[in-house]
Amino acid sequence: MPAILAMHMANELLTPPVAAATLVLAAVVVAAASLWAGKKLPADRAPLMGVMGAFVFAAQMINFSLPGMPGTSGHMVGGVLLAILLGPAAGIVTIAAILIVQCLLFQDGGLLALGCNIINMGVVPCLVGWGVYRLLLGPAGAAKAGRQYLAAWAACTAGVAGGAALVPAESYVSGVLRINVWQFLQVMVGVHVLIGFVEGAITFAVLAYLRRVRPAAVGLAGAEGPPGRVGGKGVLVSLLATALLLAGVVSWFASTHPDGLEWAYQEHFKHGDKPAVENASPVVAAVDRWQAKWSPMSDYASRSAPLGQEPPAAEAGAGVGSQKASASAAWPNVSGWGSLAGVLGTLVTLAVLYPVTQKFRRRVVAPGTAETS
Amino acid sequence: MHHHHLDRFAHLDSPVHRLDARAKFLAAVAYTVTVISFDRYAVGVLAPLAIGPVVLLWLGGVPLGFALRRAAILCPFIATLALFSPLYDRLPHAVAFGPWAFQIAGGWLTAADVTLKFTLGVLALTALVATTPFALLLEALRRMGTPRMLVVQLGFLYRYIFVLIDEAMRTRRARDFRGAAAAPAGRRLAATGGVIASLFVRTLDRSDRIHAAMLARGYQGEPHSLSRLRFTLTDAAFLILAAAYLAACRWVWPAMLWRIF
Repeated sequence: MPAILAMHMANELLTPPVAAATLVLAAVVVAAASLWAGKKLPADRAPLMGVMGAFVFAAQMINFSLPGMPGTSGHMVGGVLLAILLGPAAGIVTIAAILIVQCLLFQDGGLLALGCNIINMGVVPCLVGWGVYRLLLGPAGAAKAGRQYLAAWAACTAGVAGGAALVPAESYVSGVLRINVWQFLQVMVGVHVLIGFVEGAITFAVLAYLRRVRPAAVGLAGAEGPPGRVGGKGVLVSLLATALLLAGVVSWFASTHPDGLEWAYQEHFKHGDKPAVENASPVVAAVDRWQAKWSPMSDYASRSAPLGQEPPAAEAGAGVGSQKASASAAWPNVSGWGSLAGVLGTLVTLAVLYPVTQKFRRRVVAPGTAETS
Repeated sequence: MHHHHLDRFAHLDSPVHRLDARAKFLAAVAYTVTVISFDRYAVGVLAPLAIGPVVLLWLGGVPLGFALRRAAILCPFIATLALFSPLYDRLPHAVAFGPWAFQIAGGWLTAADVTLKFTLGVLALTALVATTPFALLLEALRRMGTPRMLVVQLGFLYRYIFVLIDEAMRTRRARDFRGAAAAPAGRRLAATGGVIASLFVRTLDRSDRIHAAMLARGYQGEPHSLSRLRFTLTDAAFLILAAAYLAACRWVWPAMLWRIF
């Protein structure tokens, strides 16, 4: 269960005060949610939430091989779907029950990290996901399929990524882990925007089926809802939007800190040692110079000199020096050039990858070569 | 995959199994707090903390390999995170281990520390769960003030996990036999959505049937349980012993270490 595993906090990343504070917060929210859900749900639904928790466990067993990436498969996480179908309060209680069982029976996620996990995977995805879904859907009684698709997709992406963004924040406040928190945040949000996208696709497929089979469960009036089919265009648009969102957001967060390896090299310099990487070879130096001259967006920022001329910083000889200068700039790097570079880079990459994937697809889909995963 | 796989040791009989579930739960929480209260460079100091859970596992007749295997299955994520810290914390620390003395970056100490604490935490939780039937654990949680509603839901969740997982596996097999893997992505997605949604509808109906069955057995909004918890003198002695042990690990042992070496 990689998607679930990737978000479970462990005890060791927290200090006792942070663990205590999040446990209290989670306990208050879950208590309020169970009171609310107890009042809202009809009395003949006593076992509903517990059995629904078991349903989420089971639904995670049904995997779906991802298009374009043979050998990998995704499955749903389920929090946002529950919030959409049962309401946010019942969703929170159900996810809390799942997390407690996972912690006690499967030892997945620590005992003291339970508060963090309930907030990250239950409270935030349920509330944010449900809110976004309701906002985008408009009146539930007569929602069109396309709009429902868009709402489900946006709700899952926002809910899952929002919860994942709290993991680095909580470990940062605890201060146990010595990892650059912004990089951790980028990785977590980036990965979970993608996970949220798969989640959104599956969630919509579930909603589409329910529209046909049991419209009342999706809040549709009337016995027969409009058929829940979406053309390829809707899927394509949201795929593109995810890619752009990912590139835009992540490169906005691409702080002025250099990445881990570069940072380690710099520290090496500070201690007065020899540089860890030397490129005395004239060939390497020539390639470096050529790259600095012709690369339109070196280091994901706009050029400081017109194309074809060496930027002034490069003349100083040390790339490390120029990075130090930019490292003193304030975070986040809102200049916008970073975002633009990310977005353009994504578009170019997609343009390059499209024909390649088409070629592979023809080969893979040939009869008799069914992939097993 | 069935309950047997998870709590096959929980129904044995041993001194540890006979302890009150509340005492064991409190001890597990106190143990976890003690473990994470050490700072991020603590490695050697943690050693005596391994004694407690290992002794309980031995007493309870639970193989140590069972607990360690759980830790190994769960550790990749935490180990990945831990292995990044040497990149960021390069402050040299002097380390002495017997006759060997050398310098090491602080990040390596943090990595070892986080991994060790994680393993200890899993050992302690396994010692709790493998010696306590889940129903008793829930009863303990309820007696200690967990909202009744949540406890009831936890009970249902535990009861129906494997029932529904089996159903999901059967449906998945049916989908795969019908050639879903060779279908284009859109169809595959629709098939997966259909499988999950039909599971959802069946779960809704099942919960209605369960409720009807509960009513037929006299359910009036209050869950009844035959499991009785009794807090005896032995449990009090266990808690005092556990507190003394944890205090010794937290304060006495580090001070001694400082004095001797």
